[in-house]
Amino acid sequence: MINLHGYGPRLLEGALITVELAVLSLLLAIVLGLITASAKMSRSRAAHAIGTLYTTIIRGVPDLVLMMLLFFGGQIGINAITDQLYAHFGWDIFINVNEFVAGVITIGLIFGAYMGETFRGAFLAVESGQIEAGRAYGMGPWLVFRRIRFPQMMRHAIPGLSNNWMVLLKTTALVSVIGLSDMVRVAAEASKATREPFTFMIIVAAVYLLIASVSEWGFARLQKRYDVGFGEVK
Amino acid sequence: MDTLMSRLEALLADNSIFTLQTLGYYGEGLVTTVQLVFLSLVIGLVLAIPLAIGRGSRHRWISLPIFLYCYVFRGTPLLVQLYLIYYGVVFVEGIQDTWLWVLLEKPFVPALVAFTLNTAAYTTEIFRGAIKATPRGEIEAARAYGMTQRLMLRRIVLPSAFRRALPAYGNEVIFMLHASAIASVVTIMDLTGAARFVYARFYAPFDAFLFVAAIYLCLTFAILYLFRYLEKRLLAHLKPAGG
Amino acid sequence: MAETPIPLEVRNITKRFGDTDVLKGLSLEARKGDVITLIGASGSGKSTFLRCMNLLEQPDEGELIVHGEAIRFKETKHGREPADWQQVVNMRAKLSMVFQNFNLWAHMTLLENIIEAPVHVLGKPRKEAIEQAHVLLERVGLTERANAYPAQMSGGQQQRGAIARALAMDPEVMLFDEPTSALDPELVGDVLKVMRGLADEGRTMILVTHEMAFARDVSTEVIYLHQGVIEESGPPEAVFGNPRSERLKQFLAPKH
Repeated sequence: MINLHGYGPRLLEGALITVELAVLSLLLAIVLGLITASAKMSRSRAAHAIGTLYTTIIRGVPDLVLMMLLFFGGQIGINAITDQLYAHFGWDIFINVNEFVAGVITIGLIFGAYMGETFRGAFLAVESGQIEAGRAYGMGPWLVFRRIRFPQMMRHAIPGLSNNWMVLLKTTALVSVIGLSDMVRVAAEASKATREPFTFMIIVAAVYLLIASVSEWGFARLQKRYDVGFGEVK
Repeated sequence: MDTLMSRLEALLADNSIFTLQTLGYYGEGLVTTVQLVFLSLVIGLVLAIPLAIGRGSRHRWISLPIFLYCYVFRGTPLLVQLYLIYYGVVFVEGIQDTWLWVLLEKPFVPALVAFTLNTAAYTTEIFRGAIKATPRGEIEAARAYGMTQRLMLRRIVLPSAFRRALPAYGNEVIFMLHASAIASVVTIMDLTGAARFVYARFYAPFDAFLFVAAIYLCLTFAILYLFRYLEKRLLAHLKPAGG
Repeated sequence: MAETPIPLEVRNITKRFGDTDVLKGLSLEARKGDVITLIGASGSGKSTFLRCMNLLEQPDEGELIVHGEAIRFKETKHGREPADWQQVVNMRAKLSMVFQNFNLWAHMTLLENIIEAPVHVLGKPRKEAIEQAHVLLERVGLTERANAYPAQMSGGQQQRGAIARALAMDPEVMLFDEPTSALDPELVGDVLKVMRGLADEGRTMILVTHEMAFARDVSTEVIYLHQGVIEESGPPEAVFGNPRSERLKQFLAPKH
């Protein structure tokens, strides 16, 4: 049996943090991605420019630098705002940026940009005739979006979504650098303390591979669902 | 040169953070980052070509280990790979007493090994996809004209696959540039390492990290334009219109 | 002096795909200057037969004799395979093929396509190959397009370029696999004109085609295949002018 030197429970907790962090960031990224995609496809020049600026900057700067900027800079920024609030309105608020929230926001923000590109491509892949048909039957824009564009778009978006998720999952490892006790940080501490890096790092690597394999299976099932009506006749 | 320096000094006169000294840190960091990324990409590329060919081999004892290597290195975070190699080397019994220690004492070499193995795995998959996408007809023509497997690989399959792989490989280069930021985690003074140092010294996160973000952004654009130029040159043959 | 050997002899070729017999014992002899046309409905096995001749498909049985030299085969667990691939490589260099979809190498200019195999397979000096290529390009009417990439040329130009590529090998026999089937009707004429020129100068050619008028005009022998069997063969006047089998009559009957 592998000797974990008592790090077992902490590793398990770390794995849970990794999964929670990944899932919450994914949700945030999907929301931001949908907003970005709409902004980039909108006729408003300002919205288009903001969307482009956002995706360009995020995709041009390393994840770790963005994470440090938001984590270390975020606290100072928020403090500056709360100081102003106190000075002007006498409101005494203290907001502490915790590592978990900073992690979710940063990763969500980063992958929102990638999701935006994925969704934009997927929306453009839906044939305009499909939307016209919806309008012709008296559907309003929201109904067209909900009943026709979104379900058809998802079929095209899933490969990109799945790809982004796999990258996002690996990116969560970076939060260990800003002090969050995810499984990578626990394993790094354990490696240093026990001088057995192989034991801990290989366990962590195996957990990542396991999560990746399970999600691959999940995405394949999801794809099947959205592929309804597009497969070949059997 | 001297006038340039004195002008720079004048420019920085009122700035408490961006002194010549801190700019020097960023400069050295830039050199380290570029060295690390460039070396790992070049070695990774050289490794990836035979691996990509072997990945498509009919012999499972060749293709299976390569598949597993790619699967593991693409499926786990680079940070974990870096820790594994960095700590793995440091904690080997008695390594401090061997001549190897001269190389391994500094974190640069373990980081280079981790980055190289990582990019080689991704590049292998990129090339494999490009090789697999070689039009069947072109391979048939090569066979019909009496080419041996080796000649066909050298003259037809690889040259056409390299060109097809170019856009994806450009993304990989940018990915490696960004991923190299984690070198700072094992105390390497790369660009991000310099930014962390300046942040810690002056407690000025915005100055320290926005400045380094701008440098990365410039590097990213430079790579992007380089690859766009290469694509224009090397992918001209796929454009239908004459010229 | 001994008689020059026959460029290509094919004896008793059979080929199965799974449970289906595609070719059921086909033979053919291409003497110098012969233009042999294979005709038949789709699925009759004519393209497969042609592809067996340079071993792009491996026949299950039968012999292949190129310029008097028999190709050696061996039995393996995957079926029959050539015993000596070097021999196959040498043989293929003598039989150049023109494909339905041209199959020019997309990353090379037309000129590079033409000199590729002569330089790297036959070991011809590059300079000599380039000179020869220019002569061939003029012959197929593509002098202007030497430095164009395949994607920048029309289908008809690509196919004429592909014929120049085949000629550059100085082949004993040229194999044409439906060379005009992928072309727009208005481009077919130029390609056929080039092929007619080759036939007139006494090139040995074997072709699979749907162009019946052309086949009748240039062939020395026409072979009608039906379900992997030679149903009828002979000089074009006999096959087209006086078909004996009911199937061939139906096949040649004008369609509406």
